[in-house]
Amino acid sequence: MSARPIVRRSASRLHRHAAVALGLLAAAAAWAQPGARPAPTPQPGALSPSAGRCGVCHPAERVKFDASQHAHEGVRCTSCHGGDDRSLTIELAHGGNFRGRTARKDIPALCASCHSDEKMMRAYNLPVDQYAVYQTSVHGQRLKRGDTAVAVCSDCHGAHDILGPGDPASRTFAPNIPATCGACHGDTTLMRRRGVKDAYREYLSSIHARELLDRGNLRAPTCVSCHGVHGAAPPAVGDVDKVCGQCHTAERRYFAASAHIEGMRRAGLPECSSCHGDHAIQAAQPERLATSCAQCHAADSDQAALGAKLWTEYRAAAAEIEKADSLITRADAIPIQTDDYRARIEQARTYLREALPAAHSVDPVIVGGFTLRARSVGSEVESEIYGKLGNLRTRKFVLILFWFYVLVTLAILRRLRYRTAKAH
Amino acid sequence: MSEAPRNATPDPGDTARAARGGWVEWLERRINLSELFSLITHFGLVYTPVDTRKPLREVLREIGSLPVTAYARWPQVLGVLAALLFALQTATGVLLAYYYRPTPEAAFESTRTIVRDLPSGWFLHEMHAWGAYLLVAVVALRLMRLFWDGLYRAPRELLWFAAVAMAWLVLQMDFTGRLLTWNAQSYWSTVRGMEVVWALPVAGPILAFFLGGRVVNEDVLIRFYVLHVIVLPAFYAACIYVTFGTLRRVGLSYPSAAGARVVTSFRAHLVDLLILTVLLFAVLVTLTTLLPFGFLAPADPYTTPAGVRPPWYMLATYALLQRAPVPMWLSGGVMLAAAFGVLLLPLWVRGDGGPRHLRRTRLWGVVALAVWIVLGILGATLDRP
Repeated sequence: MSARPIVRRSASRLHRHAAVALGLLAAAAAWAQPGARPAPTPQPGALSPSAGRCGVCHPAERVKFDASQHAHEGVRCTSCHGGDDRSLTIELAHGGNFRGRTARKDIPALCASCHSDEKMMRAYNLPVDQYAVYQTSVHGQRLKRGDTAVAVCSDCHGAHDILGPGDPASRTFAPNIPATCGACHGDTTLMRRRGVKDAYREYLSSIHARELLDRGNLRAPTCVSCHGVHGAAPPAVGDVDKVCGQCHTAERRYFAASAHIEGMRRAGLPECSSCHGDHAIQAAQPERLATSCAQCHAADSDQAALGAKLWTEYRAAAAEIEKADSLITRADAIPIQTDDYRARIEQARTYLREALPAAHSVDPVIVGGFTLRARSVGSEVESEIYGKLGNLRTRKFVLILFWFYVLVTLAILRRLRYRTAKAH
Repeated sequence: MSEAPRNATPDPGDTARAARGGWVEWLERRINLSELFSLITHFGLVYTPVDTRKPLREVLREIGSLPVTAYARWPQVLGVLAALLFALQTATGVLLAYYYRPTPEAAFESTRTIVRDLPSGWFLHEMHAWGAYLLVAVVALRLMRLFWDGLYRAPRELLWFAAVAMAWLVLQMDFTGRLLTWNAQSYWSTVRGMEVVWALPVAGPILAFFLGGRVVNEDVLIRFYVLHVIVLPAFYAACIYVTFGTLRRVGLSYPSAAGARVVTSFRAHLVDLLILTVLLFAVLVTLTTLLPFGFLAPADPYTTPAGVRPPWYMLATYALLQRAPVPMWLSGGVMLAAAFGVLLLPLWVRGDGGPRHLRRTRLWGVVALAVWIVLGILGATLDRP
């Protein structure tokens, strides 16, 4: 009986303690959970979950870092810079294992300390060989020799504001890559000192750049498509056709079977770029068949004559197809059944289109196979439509016969009418 | 069979043939052919009652030699043409309907199949189109001619009503028919035309309701189809029946020239009609072969081609609706009043019908026509997206 009030009293005390503890817990949760508070606007100096208290003195870096992919993944300032991000005094914050600003030559190794760690990168499905590949690149080789004015990780990826390549704001998002590389490779004085050509401006004038930058074609090649990403280096003679052939597979196949490939390698001429240029590559122009050969071969040589012949054949086929096409349009308006002809003209266009890659074989039999086929399909369609248009002339001829018949009928009726009236 | 009628005495040759028993006589012994034949008197084609007791050959001979007032000539020929062309439109229309499918998805495709893939399909299609053009011209000319000669006065009011109704029906058949091909021009022309219909006060919304609403879609297409192939032709046929029947009672009119009346035998008149039919058919075939209408792209409700206007007979109303500085209901009302004014002409044109009165009415008619033409030209020059 007497135990009851005691129990009741202790129970009430327990309740009180529990309430206080719960309140504290809620406060702690509210503090720890960013989601529990209203969305934080980056306040320089305030405590940030990623930057700790570093932003008190380094507000600009903190704002950049908070927006980066690293901040999102739980990387902190101290991960790269060391020190203590919970301190508010410089001595404590910059104490201990504080490293400060990393020297340029040490940056690749610093990044690699995480990015070459298979265990850490596995969750992100990121490769871990970038550092090794970088060391084989021209950038990495020069850095090794002590030239620190070459690209290190942060030059292309940024230091604090690193974003993934899929983010349109990222320096490594495909349409931004030319500008990222161009930051150095568009710098004429910097490049001239190292004997490297100013490829950035040349690239901007190319069909590749127009596709990528003007038309937003994300599949168009950027700098890294040909030069490699971390292992950036110019492709050597003998490798150019492999690089271009990543996309231009048909051209590469025909070129590999041609007489050119051996001769050019022996003469040390880069394969594709000898005719097409390297960075300022323009759209395929069929009329180049007529002029390209004479760039290396003599103007009166057999080779130059062959080029002119290919061009003539190509032009004749194209003209035939255009003529057939305009006839189809005419027949459509009458109307005459043209679906089949349209399909065949498309087929002819496909042949003609294939003649251009095939021209890399510089074999008149192969190229002629396509151009002549295109031409003959075009002229077949043409003559068949002419045949059907001829039916229209038949209609008019039948009309003449019809009128003959009408006049005879009218004459008979007229005579009948006359006789009827007379009898009446 | 002998062509010349011999109504005086029975031909001995005929009697001999009857005795031998031709197929007509064979039939005659079993059914009353004359009674069956007398049906056509209902349509006003034959003016006298038929004596059904006589054998058919004799009846035909009698009718053939009857004196009739010929009307297969100017100006009564317009009425004959309105009937002949309608018959031709019915024939070609029925054949086209065998292949036509009235849904937005299939309308253009099926029309193209008719024109392009079916043997002589192009011929039917073009004949129907040119026939429609000629029919519109014929009924319009006929209306003008009746007005010019004052043929709306008693006892010919019913003929006038029927003629106006025929003109209205032909225009509606034209309006509903041009949508059916569902090509770009016809579709957008109908869209503009529906704007005109919609703007008519009171009548507009009612008409638009029956036509399937304001937006030209599948509902409108199927309603247009039903109107075009069943409802309007039925009314038109009824108008022809009324016209022939009334003509039989009140007789043909010859107010303009005293010597214009031509009396001939019924047989000769039939030959005249035959000649007229052959000529009409020949003219249509020639137009069809030499001046076929082009075949345009299918209709796209999201793309308006340039230079789209309503059908020509709506251009005056269209111009009034688009440009007149008055409320829409007022300009619509004016046009509606004009249309009904023409129909109800016998009610409000007073006077003795003499030359002075006729001249005054003609003047009003010419002024009204001129205003309508000027408005129409104005409408044709309007170009809006």
